[in-house]
Amino acid sequence: MNCHEFRGIADSYLSNELSVEGNHEIILHVDLCPSCRIELSARRELRSILRNAFVNAPQNQVRQNFARELSTQLRENVHANHPASQGPVPLNVIGRAWLAVAACLILAAVIGVVMFRELVLTPEKTVATQSVGGELIESAVGDHKNCAIKFRLAEKPVDLEIAGRQFDSVYINLKNSILSQQENLPVDAQFVEAHSCVYEGRRFAHVVFKYHGRLVSVLVTNASGIGAGSDRKPATPVQSSVIASSQTDGFQVAGFETVRHAIFVVSDLSEAENLALARALAPVLLEHISHNESST
Amino acid sequence: MLGRTANRETQQRGDDRWASFESEAMPHIASLFRVANWLTRDRSEAEDLVQETLTEALTSFHRFVLGTNCRAWLIAIMYHRQSKRRRTNMHLHLVSDPQERILETLIYEPSTPQDVTDEEVLQALERLPRSYQEVVTLADVEEMSYKEIAIALDIPVGTVMSRLSRGRKLLRVELASYAQARGFARRLTADSEGEGIRHELP
Repeated sequence: MNCHEFRGIADSYLSNELSVEGNHEIILHVDLCPSCRIELSARRELRSILRNAFVNAPQNQVRQNFARELSTQLRENVHANHPASQGPVPLNVIGRAWLAVAACLILAAVIGVVMFRELVLTPEKTVATQSVGGELIESAVGDHKNCAIKFRLAEKPVDLEIAGRQFDSVYINLKNSILSQQENLPVDAQFVEAHSCVYEGRRFAHVVFKYHGRLVSVLVTNASGIGAGSDRKPATPVQSSVIASSQTDGFQVAGFETVRHAIFVVSDLSEAENLALARALAPVLLEHISHNESST
Repeated sequence: MLGRTANRETQQRGDDRWASFESEAMPHIASLFRVANWLTRDRSEAEDLVQETLTEALTSFHRFVLGTNCRAWLIAIMYHRQSKRRRTNMHLHLVSDPQERILETLIYEPSTPQDVTDEEVLQALERLPRSYQEVVTLADVEEMSYKEIAIALDIPVGTVMSRLSRGRKLLRVELASYAQARGFARRLTADSEGEGIRHELP
């Protein structure tokens, strides 16, 4: 290494941006070259002087109580979203929870009956979640818990548009489609964020809302090969869709599907509130996903 | 009973989430305030910006990969928030700059003066073009990597490297001029107290 080369990468060395080999070359050179040794020392000193001046400047000192006030406020925001802060659970809600558990046990039979009615009597309506079995529902609930609530997924979520180009084209513009219908959503349903994430090997498009202080997950996943059949009718956008509702692991799940995708709305809202959100979102989701499926 | 159990579970989830965020993100408040104060030039606005940044970070905490540089992640969020507030000011582009051309041919690299005050250092930094100030501050004060700076400022890594290199050179030139001016003043003072002869420095 000559002095010119040294001066070209000395800054990167000081910023710890060089490889191990690069670092060794720098060290070897300054060992042999006094002027470059002085130069390196001057640059290092400049960084130190600048850092000390900036960090110690009176105007850059944070106000004494600011950190404590901010911490208290953020912590309150976290707990304000959880129902435990709202006092004891009313008895009628507990009673409804038992009913929801019972509904889970006979879900398959109920869906079959509903499907028969919908297919035979109103063929233009959306096919119900006959093939959306417990496995998918559990995955959806697991993703809601571990992504939206706990922020602990093994794989980092990715941007929805990027995931759409890479994994599933229905994700493209999915967020915009949902948000374009925001006036049809309940008044205080607020969009939080959208991304694509993976839970136990299954990829979802994940749109998160906040409604009545609770987090709500709208999850779209490719359900091809899970009960999907060639005789499945393509979904058509309709005002009301057949939506199955159940409770799993303490969460309300409303589900419906298209030819190749299953869609879930998961939250710890009441069954009625969760279902209301699902009904509001179903038309735009079905239209977006079905349109995408038919063009691929 | 099911309802109470569910409530306890969600309360616990909230506690876990806060505990994780508190240990990872909250220790960086002082650092965030420094950067915010530099960005906004106003303490009150800086506090607002820090609050907005941490609120957004708390909401998006599931996007943060544990074990990576949380401070750099928070600063990137802060820049994003600041760009929403002042959109036009954030779209900086390097225009033809005579100072740059001088820097390209600069052979003389002054040594770092020993006796500059903190205030003079900060004033010298202020005299740099803002695009250089930004990169020098994030690299040398906040010790962010080239890649982290590139993400926060939404510029290529190569641009980070060139601005950093030029910014540091220019900072040394600015500091040398302070030292030189002080040396000139010191000589003037000594001469007036001594034999009354002034020496003009080049």
